Amino acid sequence: MAMAVTLVAGVTVAASGRPAQRVAAALPAKPQRIMSTNMCSDLLLLMLVPKERIASVTYLAHDAVEVLMPGADDGVPVNRGAAEEVVQQQPDLILASPWSTPVMRRLAAKVGAPVVEIDSANSFADIRRITRQIGALVGEPERAEALVAGMDRKLAQLERQRPARPIEVVAWSAGDFVPGAGTLTDDIIRAAGAVNLAAQLPDESSSSFGIEELLVARPDSIMRGQTDYSEPSLQDAMSEHPVVRTAFKGRRITYPVFLHTCGLPQSADSAVQLHDALAKLPEGGVAW
Amino acid sequence: MVGKVALRALVSALLLACILLSLGTGRVWLDPAVLFGAIFEPKPSLPWLILSELRIPRTILGLLVGASLGLSGAVLQGLLRNPLAEPGLLGVSAGAALGAVIAIYFGLSATFALATPVLGIAGAMMAAALTLSIGRGGTLTMILAGAAVSGLMGAGLSLALNFAPNPSAAYEITIWLLGSLENRDWGQVLLVAPFILIGWLCLALTVRDIDALTLGEAQAESLGVNIARTRWLALAGTALAVGAATAVTGSVGFIGLIAPHLVRPFVGHQPSRVLLPSALFGAILLLFADVATRVIPTAGQEVRLGVLTSIVGAPFFFWLVLKLRRMSP
Repeated sequence: MAMAVTLVAGVTVAASGRPAQRVAAALPAKPQRIMSTNMCSDLLLLMLVPKERIASVTYLAHDAVEVLMPGADDGVPVNRGAAEEVVQQQPDLILASPWSTPVMRRLAAKVGAPVVEIDSANSFADIRRITRQIGALVGEPERAEALVAGMDRKLAQLERQRPARPIEVVAWSAGDFVPGAGTLTDDIIRAAGAVNLAAQLPDESSSSFGIEELLVARPDSIMRGQTDYSEPSLQDAMSEHPVVRTAFKGRRITYPVFLHTCGLPQSADSAVQLHDALAKLPEGGVAW
Repeated sequence: MVGKVALRALVSALLLACILLSLGTGRVWLDPAVLFGAIFEPKPSLPWLILSELRIPRTILGLLVGASLGLSGAVLQGLLRNPLAEPGLLGVSAGAALGAVIAIYFGLSATFALATPVLGIAGAMMAAALTLSIGRGGTLTMILAGAAVSGLMGAGLSLALNFAPNPSAAYEITIWLLGSLENRDWGQVLLVAPFILIGWLCLALTVRDIDALTLGEAQAESLGVNIARTRWLALAGTALAVGAATAVTGSVGFIGLIAPHLVRPFVGHQPSRVLLPSALFGAILLLFADVATRVIPTAGQEVRLGVLTSIVGAPFFFWLVLKLRRMSP
């Protein structure tokens, strides 16, 4: 197994003068063929290391990349998180999600590629931790620190511009679930100087919020998740319910969903956008 | 047999009670006096928004859909002389769902609002025609044909799900298929109401002929019944009413099966006399089930309407099968 690693990552490992790996899953100090099977780590990886060192990212990343850093994934191979691709691509580091398939993990162990599970971020604190974690894994801690510092600057700026009156919002994309306490969306809303009404619901992280409940809650604004999938969905049809359109006229804000599902240093930008959008809301509460 | 007047009074009272319950209940409890008062107070107000934009369209849709299911169930049971006939069992609901799903997920409904009911109706029509043409010859063949067509439409649904362009579509389709009247709006009511009303008209036109059909097809023809025309009317009526209804509510099963059986002990077994009471009872059952979905306490999602009708309807179906087994030699 140890031989396999040396063979795969052989050239560069030898060139950097490091001894052969002790165990199959040992982490190389500066991995050269990094495979990511987790959409959120895809994006961080593209920000942290040059393309040449990326074996592949998931097919899911492209839409978000086009928005965040257009062209950053040009020429980077794409994977579908399948076990076979691990054998084929022979990575020397795999960034996986906690939900990656056991088969892939077993196979990765067989070819000697270390697998590191990357958590999903539920707060800005998580984003700092995960960005630094990946930075350390890929041997680019300084770049990770720079990204975290950039994010913290924006958050500190927002903290200084906190609006006098807390604005009440709900991230309501359709009838289904709204992000409540303990979600990244909740933290983003707080950073923007607003109050997430859904965080006061009895249910923990996400809860259901029907249109009637939405009306009764009378938020100052409703935030609507915008995916980059242009394809139609029922969800869109429902958040376009005429009563929502009339009752919250001029009070509906869209936000990019992937900056809320994936904790990235750019999630601070989402808080800045939200802050700016809330500043433009009509004065006073809803009219009815 | 209960007196006619008493029965009419009972049905009217039940229907009215269900309508009031449907207007009065929701995810949010509002005092009925406040709701009623909102009609006369300055608008827009919170209770008025909830009443006029959410609860009234929901109730009207419930009435239309329930009556469509009850009426088409009664007509199909009369036409096929088969107590198990029902839009769901004949594959009509599955066909309608397939059409609607294609319209929603491949962007047709976004560009052209009528696409959903039209494709729903087309799917229902196709499924009904298929079942009626291959299932002629008896109770068993008809049920088998219905199962086969349902299976085929289900396969089509799975295929649509497989190729749906939106990644969250699989989840949404699955939930949508469970059936619901939640968050429907006036636009949807107005969109499907004309189709449903034309469907009712077609179904009502079969009223004389299905009585003669109780004697058998040959006998009915000798009495001057144009069987092809009757069958076509029943098929078109079911497809229009159920297809359009399914296009906005998703699949709601068993109402069409249960409603005729519930009214038969009161009005007798003459098919034509079952139609109107069955339609009214279908509406009552559906509204009642829809109120139940709102009242049953759940942590997150509402209990879906189709799930509830199936939970109640399936045991009824068992009972019906057992009864038929006892009756048949």
